[in-house]
Amino acid sequence: MSELTYKEIDDTVIDTLRPPGAKYWAMIALLFCGVLMGAGCWAWQIYMGVGVAGMNTPVHWGTYLINFVFWVGIAHSGTLISAILHLFRAGWRNPIARAAETMTVFAVCTAGLFPFIHLGRMWLVFYMLPLPNQRTLWPNFQSPLMFDVVAISTYLTVSALFWYTGLMPDLAAIRDRATGTRKRIFTVLSLGWTGDQGQWHNYARGYLFFAALATPLVISVHSVVSWDFALGVIPGWHTTIFAPYFVAGAIHSGLAMVLTLLIPLRKILNYERLITGHVLESVAKTIVFTGLIVGFAYGTEVFIAWYSHNIVEMETFRWRAFGDYAVQYWIMVVCNTVAPLFLLFKKVRTDLKWLFVISILVNIGMWYERFVIIVGSVAHDFLPHAWGLYSPTIIEFGIMIGAFCLFFFLFLLFVKHLPSVSMTEMKETLHHGASHDD
Amino acid sequence: MTIEKTKMMGLFATEAEAVDAIADMQTRGWTIERVHSPVPSEKIGKALGLKKSRVGWFTLAGGITGFFTGFLFAAFTATRWSLIVSGKPIVALVPFFIVGFEFTILFAVFGNVIGLITQANLPRFDYSQDYDPSCSADQYGILAACGQEESGDLKAFFAEKGARINTFETAEEAA
Amino acid sequence: MAATPETRKMSPLMAAFACLAAVGLAVFIVRAAGQHPAQAWRAYLAGFLLVSAIAQGGLVFSTLMHVVKARWSGPLANLAEAFTAFFPISLVMFVLLFIGTKHVFPWLGHDLHGKEVWLNVPFLFTRDLLGLTVLYGFGLLYLYHALWFKLKDNGTRGVIRDFLLARWRANPPDDERYRQRMTLYAYLYMLCFTLVLSLIGYDLVMSMDPHWYSTLFGAYTFVKAIYVGFGGLIILAAILHLNPQVPFGLKSSQFHDIGKLFFGFCLVWADFFYAQFVVIWYGNISEETAYVIERTMLYPWNTVAWAVFIICFVAPFLILLNKKIKTVPKAMIGICAVVITGIWMEHHLLLGPAYHEHVRGFPLGIYDILVALGFFGLLALAVTGYLRQFPELLDTPAGGDA
Repeated sequence: MSELTYKEIDDTVIDTLRPPGAKYWAMIALLFCGVLMGAGCWAWQIYMGVGVAGMNTPVHWGTYLINFVFWVGIAHSGTLISAILHLFRAGWRNPIARAAETMTVFAVCTAGLFPFIHLGRMWLVFYMLPLPNQRTLWPNFQSPLMFDVVAISTYLTVSALFWYTGLMPDLAAIRDRATGTRKRIFTVLSLGWTGDQGQWHNYARGYLFFAALATPLVISVHSVVSWDFALGVIPGWHTTIFAPYFVAGAIHSGLAMVLTLLIPLRKILNYERLITGHVLESVAKTIVFTGLIVGFAYGTEVFIAWYSHNIVEMETFRWRAFGDYAVQYWIMVVCNTVAPLFLLFKKVRTDLKWLFVISILVNIGMWYERFVIIVGSVAHDFLPHAWGLYSPTIIEFGIMIGAFCLFFFLFLLFVKHLPSVSMTEMKETLHHGASHDD
Repeated sequence: MTIEKTKMMGLFATEAEAVDAIADMQTRGWTIERVHSPVPSEKIGKALGLKKSRVGWFTLAGGITGFFTGFLFAAFTATRWSLIVSGKPIVALVPFFIVGFEFTILFAVFGNVIGLITQANLPRFDYSQDYDPSCSADQYGILAACGQEESGDLKAFFAEKGARINTFETAEEAA
Repeated sequence: MAATPETRKMSPLMAAFACLAAVGLAVFIVRAAGQHPAQAWRAYLAGFLLVSAIAQGGLVFSTLMHVVKARWSGPLANLAEAFTAFFPISLVMFVLLFIGTKHVFPWLGHDLHGKEVWLNVPFLFTRDLLGLTVLYGFGLLYLYHALWFKLKDNGTRGVIRDFLLARWRANPPDDERYRQRMTLYAYLYMLCFTLVLSLIGYDLVMSMDPHWYSTLFGAYTFVKAIYVGFGGLIILAAILHLNPQVPFGLKSSQFHDIGKLFFGFCLVWADFFYAQFVVIWYGNISEETAYVIERTMLYPWNTVAWAVFIICFVAPFLILLNKKIKTVPKAMIGICAVVITGIWMEHHLLLGPAYHEHVRGFPLGIYDILVALGFFGLLALAVTGYLRQFPELLDTPAGGDA
């Protein structure tokens, strides 16, 4: 990093915006087909009714909710990296902050689709919006689902504004080196940013406030999502540990997704000098930390289930580990708590192949965690007579795959049209490194 | 009466050179209009004597507004029907706190954005006037204005400091 | 402390702290032997938990800053390590709890429907003693390796430092290995901190009402410990900074940083409290709500609850939003002291109703305060003794700067 100059940073990043080749467009086309397939499944569901999905008594919340929580969770680590680590002045965040923030915005967009999808008759979503109407009906703000509406919309708005604010100086840099149509587009997008001290002065302050506000927002949004479950009385849902447990789990899965995205990105776009091995190692170490928190939560829940001597609680947790969904439970435990422990070994942390594999495992594990919690608790609650199982239908799988394709499609579009590494923040790292006194 | 002013920008490769030049220009009485840089620079800000940014006040105002809006909104809508749901009070502070909190953050961010845009004078449609594109790449640009007669001295000063010089069209300004 | 090269057995300050501890002890013994042994032991338990938490949480600062390789925190980390001096005392105070088991555990002799496997005195004491020993062990091992890098052979005498210096003179340690071990013990300490403090929280606070439970209670306990630990650290740093006889001084940016961390943990503590409260309030399940209703909605405990809420969250939140106040040492001493008092009240809030069923009068009195002050006397004694043993830890290169 010592030989890196501002010019090289600019060159490396702006180089990625060159017109892409056939392989890129093929990938885009493939992902777009996936999106269309997902949209088609959704259209089929709208036409036929939500019964084409697998939800039924007693499991009313299935993959749509699992995917909703999954994508919101992934969004959180983006904000962790760009906002929280900014407050802690952790320099290793700078090369990956832009990609992480972008991941956040697209993940929240993807997540936001699922409440609509789950609604079935999505045109009735306006019931949830606090609009004055003839019947003077208002949504019930005491409901955690309404907390969700407020929290997720706030999170989407704030993330998008934070992302855009961060982009502005970079957009100006691209404008200054571009010609033709691109120059016109970026002139508009950069709002005439010139980087004079009056602007930087206010910008730095504003950015600090963004980070300071985004931090409690991250914690509150996933706490609110966890309270969708914890405020109910179902055993396995109604437990006080959910808020920090979900936040830690969200960061866990999000960091894994960051690795999943960045390891190939770094190779394909020649970012090795910017996103160094040290950065990826720091992400890996943080995953060990969040994995331990998640493990602690699993252990605590099981212990307290026993301690409570409440027969329903004890049965819920016994069934989770040894009942009909035991396979999913153990996938969850192994992928989330055991797999990250391998990252304690430097040899594994610094080997990109293993880092990538473990990141995929963690993502799988975290998806199954939501399955175990959401489906597993409702399938087996108070009355044995009411116990029942759930399995997703082909339509649900179609929509799920479509959502994954949408996320990667948007991210891939971003990577070739906007700077995926923040040039300004990379230059700031060099700047602070050079003028470091102590 | 109009005075013809020349505007020229001295472009420096490092922050240290730029700060040094600013100090000299201030002692010699040259007018510094703006200083551009590719990254925020505390040293330059201090050298220019910039006052504390006011963005924070916008953020605070937004946050306070949001807090009360969120609470009152939730409480107001609950009192329209006054139904007791699940045995909870109609105006229940415990859950409404969450709504208030989220609105606090949302409105604080709106305040932050409004503050940022107004204080930084964005969007600027005439940005390219008296601006050198290399300022967003790796150069620190000091834009100075002087009368026609002094432009030669200013050029010499910049050259002495090791800057690349970019002269802009002379502007006619009212005195 | 350039004045006295050798440490005298007792300085006036240490004498004062010893007196405080003695007064606390005397009050406790009188009360325990008298008509209200349960209240006396409750005061003992609350004091023990709070002051141990300050020490345990305080050390977390040093271990945390070490593993993230922070550069600003050196002098503060030295002070944080001073809290380890209380660890042996804490262990002894824990063992002494055993004397009062009849009064400390309200569930003794009750029918616990099978929970007796877990809630029985021998098992509880063994596992908690083991936990604390392991935790304190890791803490002291971390300290041992950290001191290698900080102690100088400057002629100061003292029992422990002589032992350490002699040991290192005999077997000169390898810098690299000691640094690796320091990091290892830092991680082990923090891991044990979360596990052991969760255990202590469940065993010594939550189980006092054996039919109530909250999964977040363990994490809530250790977050509380970090909150008061950082508060104690700020008080110690500010007192030493303001003392002209001591060369210790911090830059205002360092006060600002530790103040921000304190503010952050104020929010985390409040969040963990709210996370439990909202779930229990909303679910409205009577086996959970009875505990919360008695403490937050019924007289007299609701007054304590509101006091705790205002002192430990509302006031510090509003005051510490301001940047400047965090750099005024005198103000921070006041704020942190008030917060620690609030958390002391919070301990009584959680424990109290389990000890006095349906009390009518106000449940906290001067005797409870004196017992708590006795524990603080012990903590101050330990920390002062430590700093007198290792005076070079107070030499900060930057010197004092407001």
